[in-house]
Amino acid sequence: MSALERHHAGWVIVLSFLVAALLTVLPLPDWMEPYRPEWLVLFLIYWIMALPYRIGMLSGWIIGFFEDVLEGSLLGLNALALAIVAYIAMSLYRRLRMFTPFQQSCTVMVIVGLHQLLSYWILTASNQAVAPDLLFLASAVSSAFFWPLVFVALRQSRRYFRVI
Amino acid sequence: MGLAVLSVLLMFADQRFDYLTQVRYYAALVVTPIQWLADLPKHLQEQVDQTLQSRNALLDENTRLRDELARQQYQLQKLNHLEAENRRLNELLNASSIVEERVMRAQLIQESPDPFSKRVLINKGGRDGVFLGQPVLDAFGLMGQVVEVEPFNSWVMLITDAQHATPVQVSRNGIRAIASGRFGTLHELELRNLPNTADITVGDLLVTSGLGQRFPAGYPVATIVSVVHDPGQPFAVVTASPAAQLDRSRNLLLVFAEQGEQDRSFSR
Repeated sequence: MSALERHHAGWVIVLSFLVAALLTVLPLPDWMEPYRPEWLVLFLIYWIMALPYRIGMLSGWIIGFFEDVLEGSLLGLNALALAIVAYIAMSLYRRLRMFTPFQQSCTVMVIVGLHQLLSYWILTASNQAVAPDLLFLASAVSSAFFWPLVFVALRQSRRYFRVI
Repeated sequence: MGLAVLSVLLMFADQRFDYLTQVRYYAALVVTPIQWLADLPKHLQEQVDQTLQSRNALLDENTRLRDELARQQYQLQKLNHLEAENRRLNELLNASSIVEERVMRAQLIQESPDPFSKRVLINKGGRDGVFLGQPVLDAFGLMGQVVEVEPFNSWVMLITDAQHATPVQVSRNGIRAIASGRFGTLHELELRNLPNTADITVGDLLVTSGLGQRFPAGYPVATIVSVVHDPGQPFAVVTASPAAQLDRSRNLLLVFAEQGEQDRSFSR
């Protein structure tokens, strides 16, 4: 089998990340903003879990780069954060596959929390943020809450379109 | 590891130098459709609202607007005269000539999803002649300035962003100060380093002073809401609330000064 045949339906992955990016910038009321799940992190974790030989750190980095451009944040901030998320997910994907949905959600919460801490740390180091409280970690909880939904939706579409 | 080093280098370059503006400019082409798509529901809702308004509401609005126009035209008559007089007096004083300004309308399409930064995205970009550092107003006062130019959109930093400082002047007596944003507050400005003896009271209007050569002089910026004289502090604690409706305005104005444009390096 040639390499081209082994990799199948890549457009589903690209499209799913476009949807995640759209969800990331969709306008929300101000008070809901801190609770917005980190959609790109969730989608990245799923695709690494499902296809670790296709989606890896480089993909994470590129997605993060475009997220930086999309949000107008410091160029490289989300790129670094998502590359590190990809690294963690790459080393955990065998365990993640075995976990129950609840255990998966807990792990996702920890990963998103690390992602938030890292981006916040860089923002503070570059003098762009001072958080009055720990509210910036709230999105870790909401991400964990939405994880089962993302997981089921992406698994269905992966099976339906036979993404390998 | 290589990726981590690359990101750190990128962040450093983005923070300290402006080599990356070009990279951003072209990378933005990829994400612009997403931004448009995210704005679409709001845009459609406005369109539908416009089409479905009742005849009575339109008539009401029409009368109201006509009243307002008459009133403003009446004020304008005086203003023309005053402007001419002011120019003559300035010439007598040998002051620099008054800069003519031109404005372009723009629409807000997105707010920054990052809760720490107060930035908005507008639907005019490098293709429309927007340039870095360009002042942005709404109908009530100064909103902020352009900090990033993309081909079709650009990011505007609001004056209440913690990284932003605006040179201002009290319109009543001409005291100069710097109004800067703060972390953690929604829309509030702080006047730093004003001595306790400065003649400034609640209700004073702050206008742009034109110093720093970024914002044209004379646009309203904020009104003072509190002045606290604490004997233990070397300076008075002065807060002001912005004149522009930073969290409500969707129609913005980009200002082009006809002379003395400073930062045209990235216009096209």
